[in-house]
Amino acid sequence: MALTGRAGLLAALGAVVVLLAPRPGLAMAGVALALTALVLADLTLAGSVRGLRLYRDGDRLVRLGESVAIGLVVENPGSRRVRGVLRDAWPPSAGAGPRRLSLDVPSGERRRLVTTLTPTRRGDREAVAVTVRALGPLGVAARQGTHHVPWSVRVLPPFLSRKHLPSRLARLRELDGRHPALVRGQGTEFDSLREYVVGDDVRSIDWRASGRRGDVVVRTWRPERDRRVLIVLDTGRTSAGRVGTAPFPLSGASAGPRGANGTGGVDGGGGRDGAAGWPRLDWSMDAALLLAALASRAGDRVDVLAYDRAVRAWLSGAARTELLSSLVNVLAPIEPELVEADAPGMVAAVLARARRRCLVVLLTDLSPSAVEEGLLPVLPRLSARHLVLVASVADPRVAAMASGRDTAGQVYDAAAAERLRGERRRITSLLRRHGVEVVDALPDDIAPALADAYLALKAAGRL
Amino acid sequence: MTAPAVAGHSVPVSPTPVALWRRARAVLLVGVIVVAAALVPALVSHPQPGRYADPADPSLDGSRALAALLTRHGVTVSRVDDAQEALAVAGPGTLILVTEASALNRAEAADLAAAPSDRLLVGPVPFLDLLAPGVTPKERGVWSRSRPPECALPEAVRAGSAYMGGTSFTAPAGATGCYPAPGGAPTLVRSTSGGRTVTVVGDGAYLTNLRLAEDGNAALALGLAGARPRVAWIVAPDEPDEVAEPGGPGAPDAPDAPDGDRTLSDLIPDAVPWAVAQLVVAVAVVALWRGRRLGPVVVERLPVVVRAAETVEGRGRLYRARQARDRAALALRAATAERLRTRLGLARGAPPEEVAAAAAARIGADPAHVRETLCGPVPPDDAALVALAGHLDTLERQVGHS
Repeated sequence: MALTGRAGLLAALGAVVVLLAPRPGLAMAGVALALTALVLADLTLAGSVRGLRLYRDGDRLVRLGESVAIGLVVENPGSRRVRGVLRDAWPPSAGAGPRRLSLDVPSGERRRLVTTLTPTRRGDREAVAVTVRALGPLGVAARQGTHHVPWSVRVLPPFLSRKHLPSRLARLRELDGRHPALVRGQGTEFDSLREYVVGDDVRSIDWRASGRRGDVVVRTWRPERDRRVLIVLDTGRTSAGRVGTAPFPLSGASAGPRGANGTGGVDGGGGRDGAAGWPRLDWSMDAALLLAALASRAGDRVDVLAYDRAVRAWLSGAARTELLSSLVNVLAPIEPELVEADAPGMVAAVLARARRRCLVVLLTDLSPSAVEEGLLPVLPRLSARHLVLVASVADPRVAAMASGRDTAGQVYDAAAAERLRGERRRITSLLRRHGVEVVDALPDDIAPALADAYLALKAAGRL
Repeated sequence: MTAPAVAGHSVPVSPTPVALWRRARAVLLVGVIVVAAALVPALVSHPQPGRYADPADPSLDGSRALAALLTRHGVTVSRVDDAQEALAVAGPGTLILVTEASALNRAEAADLAAAPSDRLLVGPVPFLDLLAPGVTPKERGVWSRSRPPECALPEAVRAGSAYMGGTSFTAPAGATGCYPAPGGAPTLVRSTSGGRTVTVVGDGAYLTNLRLAEDGNAALALGLAGARPRVAWIVAPDEPDEVAEPGGPGAPDAPDAPDGDRTLSDLIPDAVPWAVAQLVVAVAVVALWRGRRLGPVVVERLPVVVRAAETVEGRGRLYRARQARDRAALALRAATAERLRTRLGLARGAPPEEVAAAAAARIGADPAHVRETLCGPVPPDDAALVALAGHLDTLERQVGHS
């Protein structure tokens, strides 16, 4: 049950009655009795909340940054009208609104209410509970009850970098030409034989085939296809670090850890929404999505592995048309784990899954200690069989700190930033010495930079 | 996304009244047991506080043990409530025992003093000037402990050391003082006044059931109180009906109070306290209204919010806190040298001196100056460090533009 403001108002008016009555003690008892009687009558006459039946309908998938409407059908099989308020409770980061809905369902009818979710971070959001407060006819007291109406919405990664896809696809088309090339070179494979026409390079004449056919025949070539790309996402502790500016207001840091933001930003940074940044993992996912989209269009097979100390996600053998949707589905619920990533385990997992030579794209952080102790010792095992590309999201804040010159404090910060950048350069050169490609780019550039690196490798025929 | 998927219908999760009762009854039962366990002994037993030096009281404060001893020695103990009763039994063969618990007023004290009986005054008795003329209190708050008699009083000598203290007295001429306090003043004085033997004792603790068995307390008490065949023992009245002090907070309804003496509470109508009580009820109702949440609090596992740059910021603050100019300068110079190496086309491992020389040659600057910028000494203060950072920037820009 619940009382309303009217009950409080009646009780306060009762004080006036008590003040003016000739027998105040008796009057007070009378007021209390009357109020209790009103409350009891209201509770008795209010519609039954327990008997309500609720159903949901609506979408189960939403991209981060978009909104989704979830319908809630309230059916009242009871004999009395249910009038009052309803709260559809979702976790805070689901961004559910409005907070309370007014409800008026006559007996035997149903009404549909709509809750709009605007999620502020990736992952699965489960509906928590629906609470109904049914007022009595006097509006003095209300029955209140909670129902569990299961529903879950999966918030998918936003794939912000899809804006870069058309230009990269154009580059890809340039690369493979749609028209088979006559020039044999790196990154091409045999396509077909066709008749010689004037103007063809005589060097591309296939004399053996010409002998068989009795006609002059040239060979044509096309860029290599059906290569394998294995994208490995490091979901260890370094992937939880926030970099850049979150693309959506309150992304990741929904209302709750506001205080934590303030301690993070030293000079500036604390004020704007999304100043806490976006986790490295989300930027990495964005880059992985662009790369997967591009590679699948280029005719390569794309597998995805997410790993920290165990396999968090593994997607293999998805059909080309289904790849992106299954990929966002697989990646959506992955959260950074606050443990040190297990590099030997990761390498073993990759080796166990990739029998044939493939391009292993490792999306991790080039933090000196983690790479030197974890990845470097086991990298040769990987690079012996596969082509390895390490991609890392650099922190724009470090770049900004490195250019600070105004005060002594800023210069000390700049020295610290330069030190970190020096370490990263050293790690990069160490990795390159192992025959590993390295992409180290700022959050906004990591996806196109990774796509370009892939295209360059493809053009060079190194897949 | 596709056709509206209707899930199975809802499940009510609020507890039913029956479930609420089931859940609460164990707690209620425990609560009832606790309250009962607290109340029942309080109701069954009647823990009256001990009545001090009362011959009928068996508690530690009482003196029933002494009364029993006296009776066994053939002394009649008359327990009387006030001076009138005491005077009724008083006679030459009676000893009047007055303790600090006895409620006397001045007139009664004078009457007692006039009675033809010996008197034993125990503890800080009022109107000592009437009851024991010549004996005056000298020092109050004397530490009560076992003391030797150090006098010739036969009872005291027989008893030996006893638990004495409380008040020390100045004895009149001809009186006997025993059990002296550290200052030498006695805490027991026996004097004679008008043919009556008057004994004053500074502390009555030796009479109580608590102390009677210690030292020579019992012997002393028997000797002092059993000196006559009859004891009129004045105890505190049964109902200690404290007399209302004038001007105190007692006497609430003075019926004939004149207008000028009426207090604020007299002027407030009777209904106002009731109305205030009703307002309290209203506040409680409003609290119930506002305090009732619409549904449960929703908890969520939030992701950790850690800026990736925090370690770098921390390192910068450490440099600043320790004034680590050497490390800071080293890092800045190394970064500039690294970039210059790429720009000047030098080998990766080229030493900074070589870089400085090449850079100076490229921009036509003083080689010594460039060399000092790139691999000079550690800046002596923060200002020099800031200046060094500026020089490095300038050098890089010049090489870039050359």
